[in-house]
Amino acid sequence: MRKLFLLLCGFVFLAVQAQAQKTITGKVTDEKGNPIANVSVMVKGTTTGTATKADGTYSLAVPASARTLVFSYADMTPEEVTIGSQVMINSSLKAEDKSLSEVVVVGYGTQRKKDVTGTVATVKGAAVSNKPIQSFEQALGGRAAGVQITIPNGVLNNPPVIRIRGTNSLSLSSYPLIVVDGVPTFTGDASGSNAAGNALASINPNDIESIDIAKDAASSAIYGSRAANGVLFITTKKGKLGKARVTYDGWAGWTTVQRLPEVLNAQQYTDHKNLALVNAGTYNAASNAFYTSLNTDGSPIDTRWYDYVYRTGFSHSNNVSVAGATDATNYYFSMGYTSQQGIIKRNDFRRINVLGNVDQKINKYLSFGGKISFSNELNLAAASSGSLNGEAFNTAGLGRLAFLNAPNVSPYLPNGAYNINSSGLLGIGANKQGQVGLYNPAASLDLNRSNSENNHLQGNVYIQLKPTNWMTLRTVYGIDYLLTDNEIWSDGRTGEGFIANTFGGSAASSYSKNKRFVWTNTLTLDKSWGKHTVSVLVGNEQQRSDNVGFGLSRTQVSDPFYTNLQGGFVQAPLAAGLGIGENYLLSGFASMKYNYKNKYFLSGNYRRDGASQLGANNKYGNFYGASLGWELTREGFWEKWKLDKAFSSFKLRASYGKVGNISGLGNYGTLSTYSAGLYGGFATLAFTNAGNPSLTWETSKKTDIGLNIGVLKDRFTVEFTWYKNNIDGLIIAVPQPPSAGLPNSINTNVGSMYNQGYELTLNANVVQGKNFTWTSSFNVSHNENRVTSLAPGVTRIIASTSGLESPSITLPGYALGMLFVTRTAGVDPATGRRIFINAAGRQVFFDLSAPTAAQRYKYADGSIAPSVGSQDAVIYKNTDPHIYGGFDNTFRYKGFELNALITFQADFWVYYGSYAGLRDQRYWNNSTDVLRRWTKPGDVTDMPRPVFGDNISNGSSFPLDVNVFKGDFVKLRTVTLAYNVPKALVDKARFNSIRFYISGNNLAIKTKYPGPDPEVSSNGNGAINQGVDRNTVANGRQITVGLNIGF
Amino acid sequence: MKNKLLYLLVASGLVLGSCQKSRISPSPTTAISDLSAFSTPDRVLNQVRSLYSNMRNGQFYGGRYVIYNDIRCEEFINELTNGVTGLEVWNGTLNNNNNQVTALWAQAYYVINLCNVFLQGMSNTGNTVVGSTLAANYNGEARFVRALCYYSLLQLYARPYYDGSGSRPGLPLRLTGNSGAGDYNLARSTVNEIYTQILADLNFAETNVPLTYTDAISTTSRAHRNSVIALKTRVYLTMQQYANVITEANKIVNATAPFAAATGVAHTLQADITNVFKAPYTTTESVFSMPFNANETPGTQNQLGYYFSKSFGNGEYSLNPAGIVADAGWTVNDKRRTFNGTVGGKLYLNTKYGAGSPYTDWVPVIRYSEVLLNLAEARVRTTNAVDAQAVALLNAVRNRSDATVTYTVGSFATATDLINAILKERRIEFLGEGLRSPDLLRLGMTIPAKTATSGTVVAIPPSAPNYIWPISASELILNPLCTDN
Repeated sequence: MRKLFLLLCGFVFLAVQAQAQKTITGKVTDEKGNPIANVSVMVKGTTTGTATKADGTYSLAVPASARTLVFSYADMTPEEVTIGSQVMINSSLKAEDKSLSEVVVVGYGTQRKKDVTGTVATVKGAAVSNKPIQSFEQALGGRAAGVQITIPNGVLNNPPVIRIRGTNSLSLSSYPLIVVDGVPTFTGDASGSNAAGNALASINPNDIESIDIAKDAASSAIYGSRAANGVLFITTKKGKLGKARVTYDGWAGWTTVQRLPEVLNAQQYTDHKNLALVNAGTYNAASNAFYTSLNTDGSPIDTRWYDYVYRTGFSHSNNVSVAGATDATNYYFSMGYTSQQGIIKRNDFRRINVLGNVDQKINKYLSFGGKISFSNELNLAAASSGSLNGEAFNTAGLGRLAFLNAPNVSPYLPNGAYNINSSGLLGIGANKQGQVGLYNPAASLDLNRSNSENNHLQGNVYIQLKPTNWMTLRTVYGIDYLLTDNEIWSDGRTGEGFIANTFGGSAASSYSKNKRFVWTNTLTLDKSWGKHTVSVLVGNEQQRSDNVGFGLSRTQVSDPFYTNLQGGFVQAPLAAGLGIGENYLLSGFASMKYNYKNKYFLSGNYRRDGASQLGANNKYGNFYGASLGWELTREGFWEKWKLDKAFSSFKLRASYGKVGNISGLGNYGTLSTYSAGLYGGFATLAFTNAGNPSLTWETSKKTDIGLNIGVLKDRFTVEFTWYKNNIDGLIIAVPQPPSAGLPNSINTNVGSMYNQGYELTLNANVVQGKNFTWTSSFNVSHNENRVTSLAPGVTRIIASTSGLESPSITLPGYALGMLFVTRTAGVDPATGRRIFINAAGRQVFFDLSAPTAAQRYKYADGSIAPSVGSQDAVIYKNTDPHIYGGFDNTFRYKGFELNALITFQADFWVYYGSYAGLRDQRYWNNSTDVLRRWTKPGDVTDMPRPVFGDNISNGSSFPLDVNVFKGDFVKLRTVTLAYNVPKALVDKARFNSIRFYISGNNLAIKTKYPGPDPEVSSNGNGAINQGVDRNTVANGRQITVGLNIGF
Repeated sequence: MKNKLLYLLVASGLVLGSCQKSRISPSPTTAISDLSAFSTPDRVLNQVRSLYSNMRNGQFYGGRYVIYNDIRCEEFINELTNGVTGLEVWNGTLNNNNNQVTALWAQAYYVINLCNVFLQGMSNTGNTVVGSTLAANYNGEARFVRALCYYSLLQLYARPYYDGSGSRPGLPLRLTGNSGAGDYNLARSTVNEIYTQILADLNFAETNVPLTYTDAISTTSRAHRNSVIALKTRVYLTMQQYANVITEANKIVNATAPFAAATGVAHTLQADITNVFKAPYTTTESVFSMPFNANETPGTQNQLGYYFSKSFGNGEYSLNPAGIVADAGWTVNDKRRTFNGTVGGKLYLNTKYGAGSPYTDWVPVIRYSEVLLNLAEARVRTTNAVDAQAVALLNAVRNRSDATVTYTVGSFATATDLINAILKERRIEFLGEGLRSPDLLRLGMTIPAKTATSGTVVAIPPSAPNYIWPISASELILNPLCTDN
């Protein structure tokens, strides 16, 4: 910090005087005619300049070559005046309207975009408003360089996977810090049911003014220990000067499922499974065979389970806002209601929310204001989608049931009852089999509930004191209360609630309360002396979060009449969803920004954080960032070389800093503790957590080097940044030998990795005609992740999908989360056997129908081989996209407006695990791919000879390379065609503005990926198990029509 | 006005910045610090119970240990080909990475370490906190639990004692409490060294644990002198030290029928065996069991009833029609046949564990009938004759369930016949109680072949590598000194 100050001083004294040949005098005033002191008066493109005196006057000797004078002052719009022959030049500066000029939020304040030397991307609220989404970040994909968004599946309100410049942690969260109007808010899935409940859905996207994304250390270091994943600053709307303006925004839309895999129909299924039984040598027409069941009218049953699981969802949204401002008061009030249906039946999202923002100036010195936002969200579902984190192999998972259950049985019995057998599974119909399906989704979707309700209150109040025009004292107290109710009901007639020989049924309800307060006190000093502009911020902050959760679960109703937790039950109730904890963050921070003649820029940030979650020996840490910028267009040579004709801006910038990550770290994990239990009704106390008193932050050291170019008065802008993020002290739960008997693997700061890449953003006002305009924005990012070390004794980390399958591996020398699969070499044309390649590189032929288990695996020469399995897996392909970005174009012709956003990701691979299930040769229904099956010697095909019971050849047993596909895609993410009703007509109708639009989401995708959508995650936001598509429900396709009215 | 506000603001900022520093080191309200875990007699007692409750974990004695030792042998047929519920255990294709192999190993050693941490904590402070009598009791219980854990691990992960008289690789022998990261590399001790430690622990326990408890649940679910002795009979039988079996068994079995323990808990056979497998599960026949109730359940896919019962569970395993149920000597009159039931054309061990969801059947660890049959077998093997007391002991077990069969000395031509009858009786009596595999292995007998719809599993001779389990892969990776089987 001290060094930084010395450096700054050096800068100040470097200012040099130029020779003068002509003297200009004048006076600078504000809009009301009051003189302004300390206004910088500069000869453009030179270092010649002065500052106004207390009475606003100045006198400046300028060289004969001087052409233009530039008057600039903090918070005022700079003015340029051509000198010509004048010797007296007065200037009247206008207060800068921050809502109009481009400013970015930089943490505890704002900064003009032109002055920013860190790497900050800004997305305007319009990009996320009026979309068929539940939370704003779902619409961020492709909008900003370095920001990768993956919508994991089609379950409503599922938090997207957000990666800012790659994944920055192995065990902690890589989710960025989200700061809403200055208060860090809760993120992630708050739901405790099978419905997803993204906490960020409480922010109505239509209330968002802007989203500023701080990516490098210089711009994020002010958030110290939480900045490693980047910081998203959400700014909600404020009123604009003028009388009250009322707006209405509404849309209605339809969403449909897309690209479902084609599965066998009833007859194909029956034939295929019988063939497989014959091949297995176990076909028996009387006891072990498949038969298509018949309807009562004798027609064959042919059930398309997709029809019972999916639907066309209807959604609508309505928002009303009132906003305005006077000199003293600024207000924005809004209310929104949206009701959305997902592509899965009974998967709904409803939100009602209100927001009020008020700022009031009491006098010249004092102002106060605040915000209050309340949102109630219903996240509704009937059953598990099988798509949320940890659900991939749920017996109830609807994504899988829709393609797994036998098509030759009906969901209903002839008497109308649900077709369920004595174990609660789908009834077998006419099949001579023990089992032909998992749960009956028709019953689950009719009778069950798995709901979650969020009540989310976010608010803050501030008082601001400006004793002088360059000093601001501000105290802000913010609260964020997220209260969640979960309610789950599983009927006894469904697989979920089935209990043999009883009425079954189970209910569980739980309540969780997350409360946070943040108190921030800051002192800001903004001062300009002629050529120098300095802004200094110091502050302290404390943030306390606590959570409480409790609930109850009950099973086995005493009468099928009961359908909720409060009903009659036979079994004693059990506690559910218990949890209690708190954490605390105590911080002090400072930042300084300096620029010299808007030419040289310097900034430094520092923060000291103390976090309760860390080990007793390491609670406090220091974080910092610094940046430098150089605006070349302000240099004399620039004009001399005539470069100013072409370039309106040419800024070089560099930053470096150190930030931390503790996101997702448990509250008490560093302590060694004992916890309670029961034994035969008596209390117990057992050693259950071995802590680490030295545990501390993961540390990111980030370097950025960038270039911002503006061409033709910024008609075309280019932003290029190269970055490298070295991460040390990655927290890894280091396992001890199991025989040491420790209760847990101990979190230790041991691993390291880096993310390195570049980002390019191009913006262009391609055509700026009177009637026709075309604006275009393109961004592309390249990121390379490399793990450089893990822990002693941890040579690799294998990550599972829902605990059952382990297709992901992380190890030094590779990107994190590589796919880890067993190699195959096709299907043997002579015998139809699957050929595996074992760890030794030898081909092993597999035949489940071999006479004994030992003979199933053989080498090509017929000798017996050891069985092949996950132990033969190889490090296969990367799952992190190396390239991603977006291309956004807006065309306006008179009142018409066409916007299209294309997003893309490239150079990554996805494990399509669903394929293993779709080709599983147990009773499971199959993809029509199996019709290509091997049938006779000489057949060259990728589908092995079907042998009933074979769950190995196609990858159910352990992941195979044949189910790994390139995920590269180009998506037509959104297309909107809008019509703005001409002003004359609008005025006639006494409206301010009227706009109609029709919009499509996910209309087209170009990819070689065979699954529904390569933009997928079966493991939610998991760091090291991305790129897995296991039984996931795909993203829907939406069409909406909407209306915006300004009154 | 202006200055006052300024001062107020600055002052409040400073106050706030410092006043909540204690919050930086919050203590959890739901977990007790290691610093105070031995601070009161109640906490110490609660820790003792936690040793048992963690042994009762579904991965271990709460279900899977018992289940594995049955399903790896010939009496059960896998019905659902589910890898999660022991398919590879059943068909003998386990590898080091298999979850069954790693999870049971980890859980058993977790309990062993809990015992070690407890014993250490007791010697540091706990013994003083609870006083010498209770301290002796508790230390004895901890060593009993540790002994049972080591014994159980040996049955799956090491060659049987008979193979080289315990000279083959046993287990890493952990006797100190581990509570944080450290260097835990340790080679396997021999089988014999482990048994020596087991017996040292049990001998200590025998003289230190109480004779009985004041309540029935504790009497059945915690170690007392007679249950320690009962376990010793099993350990010595496994080691083929038959004279020691007799010495131990005689402490708790009187010479003639009706057999019962004369001192301590009055163990004896129940007239009706089905009462042993019913609530309250605390008859004097249950020497040591793992308790369950609606609040304490074995966890999903760990419950004995879930595996074996079709009517009250998931019917994961049916009874092998070619197994002991086919034996003509096990007559239809035998009460123990009533545990079996045919559902969907297949015979299941349907009601031995018939509590159904939420599966509150207690898991039997040692029953008095086992002590009687242990003694009977040891007597025949030491006397090498049709021993009268052995016949009487066998008859006590058989006759109480099947009144139509009464064994006398005349029922057996040779000592071998009598031994075979005792071994057969064990198959009937302890069906689904996890004794089958240890019984085969201690005598070096082949695990017979079995056939299911899904395929045939060939016989596994003692020479086969899969006669015992492989060592946990995580152990091999993280403890390079440990060798595989």
